[in-house]
Amino acid sequence: MSDWLFAVEGLDKRFGDRVLFKDASLGLEAGSGYVLVGPNGSGKTTLLRIVAGLEPADGGRMALRAQSVRAPDYPESWRRDIVYVHQQPYIFHTSLQENLGYGLARRSLPPADRRARVQDALKWAGLTASIKVPPDKLSSGEKQRVALARARVLGPTILLLDEPTANLDGVARKQVLDLLTELCIDNHTVVIASHDPEIIRLAILNRVRVSGQRITVDE
Amino acid sequence: MELLEPTREAFRLLLTGDAQLWYIILTSIWCSLAALLLISPPAIAVGFVIAKVTFPARRTLVVLIQALLSFPTVVVGLVLYMLLSRQGPLGFMRLLFTPEAMILGYMLIAFPVLVVFTLAAVQGADPRVYETARGLGASRVHAALTTLFEVRFGVMAAVFNGFGRVVSEVGCSIMIGGNIAGLTRNIPTAIALETSKGEFAQGIALGCVLIVVAVGINAALAWAQGRGGLE
Repeated sequence: MSDWLFAVEGLDKRFGDRVLFKDASLGLEAGSGYVLVGPNGSGKTTLLRIVAGLEPADGGRMALRAQSVRAPDYPESWRRDIVYVHQQPYIFHTSLQENLGYGLARRSLPPADRRARVQDALKWAGLTASIKVPPDKLSSGEKQRVALARARVLGPTILLLDEPTANLDGVARKQVLDLLTELCIDNHTVVIASHDPEIIRLAILNRVRVSGQRITVDE
Repeated sequence: MELLEPTREAFRLLLTGDAQLWYIILTSIWCSLAALLLISPPAIAVGFVIAKVTFPARRTLVVLIQALLSFPTVVVGLVLYMLLSRQGPLGFMRLLFTPEAMILGYMLIAFPVLVVFTLAAVQGADPRVYETARGLGASRVHAALTTLFEVRFGVMAAVFNGFGRVVSEVGCSIMIGGNIAGLTRNIPTAIALETSKGEFAQGIALGCVLIVVAVGINAALAWAQGRGGLE
């Protein structure tokens, strides 16, 4: 387990009678990108949520760098390293700047640093023209870009993205794909659950198959 | 019954700043606000926890708190009277027939209103709010505060409803306040007393104030919701 940036071993997860994972394992290398593929309901989202600490595992072990824990005992400190973005991201009903600065404020970053990083993130996501738009008036593509920028600005050790291009088409999808590609090229450790053929085909991403209660990395 | 003359007299009392009348009004508003200020934080926290945390007997607790909404306020007054009277277990505090006793009563009356409204608001919140906050590194408490902020209009409705319930409350005020002029007499108890004496002018004046307060609360909530984009 110690060779990986993050690893799960012997992962068990079930919802009632439905077994999603039985003795499943996965290792993530630092600076690598991964795309989770598999049929609907195979557990891609659940796996991301377990890694993010939003869904408790039933059994197994997880390790981040040198810290190994029982999977059900997700450490609070890992939440600062691992950031999860929902398929349909929630944007808080405040300004875009406050949305992007939310995680930075939780990390007690000085306001001046926070403002600078938020401005940088707005530029990165191409959102500077949308600053005055109320969150509920943003398009799906803009919301996805806000969520990506809000996660990236934190400089997470691992970034987990759930179907980032679902419900997007045309220009909005292209913009999000460009940002994703940039994230992967920038040596972020990114895990994307996706059905999008264009994401799955990205050469820089390792393909991870999630099906039949197992997780396997395609060679 | 002659209504015109008492109504004219009521407005004269209000507009000339009749000291006795305005003391009653201020007592009502001050006691209600103090109670709300003290009980809102714990009641909102309880509402949030019940909405978000699964524990045994949670459903029973919700039913119990909902039942408290229709609990007669005079019974709350009776229980508090027994606790605060000289022979009661809390008699040593000498609170009976004081504004502080009324505030205590109002806190108990407002508690279920605040809990139930907050519970409904939080249960109606998008579950992604709390998860997004947690996913961005917020502590449980901060994620809870973020969720409450996102459902702030529901929480504000809880507080305004709690205020509306206590500011117009009679039974508990009489039982533990004693309706003492210049000390614990408030709008509802004064209306009841003046009407029983056949003095309608002050009753009408105070009734007008209560209506203005009720309309004002709703107008404030509607204004806040409008500013928040809930047109």
